[in-house]
Amino acid sequence: MPDNTQAKFRVEINGSIDDVWQEITRTDAPIAAFFNSRMEVGQLSAGSKLAMRTPNGKYTGVVGKILEYDPPKRFSHSFRFTNYEDPPCTVIYDLEEAEGVVQFTLTVADMPHGTKTAKQMVQGGKMIVNTLKAVIETGKPSLGTRVLFGVFKLMTPMTPKKCLSANWPVDPPAKRSHP
Amino acid sequence: MKKKDSQDNVFLALANPARRRIIDLLVGTPGCSVKWIASNFKFSRIAAMKHLTVLENADLVLSEKHGRTRKLFFNPIPIQHIYDRWTTDYSSFWAGRVADIQARIEARAAKKDKKHAG
Repeated sequence: MPDNTQAKFRVEINGSIDDVWQEITRTDAPIAAFFNSRMEVGQLSAGSKLAMRTPNGKYTGVVGKILEYDPPKRFSHSFRFTNYEDPPCTVIYDLEEAEGVVQFTLTVADMPHGTKTAKQMVQGGKMIVNTLKAVIETGKPSLGTRVLFGVFKLMTPMTPKKCLSANWPVDPPAKRSHP
Repeated sequence: MKKKDSQDNVFLALANPARRRIIDLLVGTPGCSVKWIASNFKFSRIAAMKHLTVLENADLVLSEKHGRTRKLFFNPIPIQHIYDRWTTDYSSFWAGRVADIQARIEARAAKKDKKHAG
């Protein structure tokens, strides 16, 4: 009866849907809402590989595959922590706009029950939606979140070697065909 | 969609023991149905649905359609925002420590009482 494989987090953000969409799909700078990870993709389209790397690119914390890319309403990808052996779960970001407010819903699905991944996803969901709200509304994450990013930076040298980005390549961007 | 300033809705939703109990049930049983929620109370399914509507208006409950049933989930974010409204990063740290000390002292006292009773 209980569905422990799923969790949902929703927040209302005062901003435009395009700004929220751009923030969660940006590849040119670290995404504060995603624990200050830099997202690298082969292409921003379904089927492409995705990696969440440290700001300097040296380590990769999360890998996955883009499942849905429907701007500016839905972005979804599979999600696996590189330092755990757990099976992947799915994250879905849904955006809906009305009266200058964006309703942002994070759904975590297919969580492997009782695993470290499930625990991290349930704990991390709150921080993702709240940090996204802070970034869009104030231009920066809260003080507590910024302090946490500082701690992450200090701990980077302790990251396991298997998380080195060299072990987790993504597809190279598709080359443009010239007529 | 709800209106922008929705903390009134959250306080209204939480100011009822049945609705607080529904949240307890959802925390322990994510993805449960309206029917299952109603089975935990003496009131009717219609009354349960009314309580759920109040909780949904406050964004405390999110639902997802699965065929003819709805799966219900607790959304902790509105409660987090109430907490954030009156606490700073520093006060929340100390409040957490004080609450921790209180919990430990109470647990120790309860253990002692149990020992004396036995």
